Amino acid sequence: MRSSERPLAELPRPLLFAFVLAFGVQVLMHQSNVTKASKEYRPLGKPFDAQVYARLSIGSRRLLSYLLSIRLQLHDNQAGRHVRYDQIDYLVLIEWLSQISQLNRQSEYPMMLASRIYTQTQDKPRLRSLLVFIDDQFAGQPQLHWRRQAEAILMAKHKLGDLELALEMAKRLADQPDTVQMPHWARDMHFLLLSDLNEFEAAILVVQALLKSGSITDPDELRYLKSKLSDFQQKLSETKQNR
Amino acid sequence: MINVLNTHLYAQTITLFRYFMLGIVNRRLFGLLGILLLVAFLASGFVFELAIINSAQIASALMGDFLRYSFVLLALLMIVSNVAEDFESKQFGRLFTMPIARWQYIFAQILLIGCVAFILSIATLIVLLPGISFELALYWSTALCMEIFLVGLLGLIAILSLEKIPQAVFFTLAIYLLAKLSELIRQMLSYAVEYSDSSAANQFAEAIFNFILNIIPRLDAFAQNDLFFKSTGLLEALILQSQTVAVYAIFLITVSLVDFYRKEINQ
Repeated sequence: MRSSERPLAELPRPLLFAFVLAFGVQVLMHQSNVTKASKEYRPLGKPFDAQVYARLSIGSRRLLSYLLSIRLQLHDNQAGRHVRYDQIDYLVLIEWLSQISQLNRQSEYPMMLASRIYTQTQDKPRLRSLLVFIDDQFAGQPQLHWRRQAEAILMAKHKLGDLELALEMAKRLADQPDTVQMPHWARDMHFLLLSDLNEFEAAILVVQALLKSGSITDPDELRYLKSKLSDFQQKLSETKQNR
Repeated sequence: MINVLNTHLYAQTITLFRYFMLGIVNRRLFGLLGILLLVAFLASGFVFELAIINSAQIASALMGDFLRYSFVLLALLMIVSNVAEDFESKQFGRLFTMPIARWQYIFAQILLIGCVAFILSIATLIVLLPGISFELALYWSTALCMEIFLVGLLGLIAILSLEKIPQAVFFTLAIYLLAKLSELIRQMLSYAVEYSDSSAANQFAEAIFNFILNIIPRLDAFAQNDLFFKSTGLLEALILQSQTVAVYAIFLITVSLVDFYRKEINQ
């Protein structure tokens, strides 16, 4: 078949020239469109349902969840440039995080993206929606997500400046049963935030309840709680005297 | 007398198998294997750098899946092209003038498929070992060996029936993907029935698909990638897979024997 073809050199020169020209124009046009498109911010598309991803994963459900997480992690970096977080639609972002979490219930990755990467936004409504999402996910799987909840509490307090929200989240963290294993400092955030809000009476009650529960056996933690208790009692009496 | 005859048949089958092996094991195979392993290393290394947590697990799982699909395709192409060559060069006519039974040809091909699956799974074991535990690497390579064996048998049936490489490869890949996507298709059909107020056409389509599911491998016949992230229950998964593969492989072997015995071969 090939041997019956004429060599290219024998073709009419204008035809060859037209072919090379047409090919060049096509490639240039495509490349100019690609360059133009790559400079613009490409927003996140809506995700499919987790069930659809699970079926599409052809048996590699967890791997797909991690690859989708990495894809989401890279969304803030397009064409070698960092995308401002206020350009990102956080409702769609949360939808993605939620679907990935449902796809792989054992994965910490989406929650880590939520608490460490996308909380860097300066936009308070966006940050609040993300913190509420973390709080919701923590309620579903407290053992897996207590770290993210603790990080979210700090974000709510220091970055969002919403002590009420931070306190609410800290209460949820502290209220977890002993079967949910986490370090003492995580549960201590509740009474520390109460003291920040000058709710010394409530803070004293929480610390006393902790001491009486018998769940704390570590001598260092016991010493810390007792010192905090006396500190709060002193501050409470000072507050009463100042009134 | 019977023992001598059995030994003779056995020796003939082994000779046929060795002849097929010579056609497959060549420098091109090892070159291709090397390229695939290099691509697997590069792709998993890239993902390892990107991932913030669980990097090693994600990279290993990606490498495992990449090797799975590329090796399945490689094995399928090798087996299919090996039999296709026999069709093209009218080898069967010459072969069956000798005192060789058709089942010997099939069994030599099965030995070849097993051998190819074994070689590829050993390559997988060696490549995965530095990144994951020995138990997990052993599980994945054994499970992959069974998966390649199964797809190889499907390819054998396809090429024996269709006699052309493209048709046989597409048919085998279609069955392989249908098995893997069966859950998705089943879900789509059940939604279609639900949203069309149980229309007769959709119910019929669902019934047809449910029937087809009886003759394609179940999902547990394949290596379970999720175990890269939860290295427990490896033995249970392997036992379940080997049971499914054994039953399905016997079914495929009988189908290929029936098909090959029915074939008119021009001498």
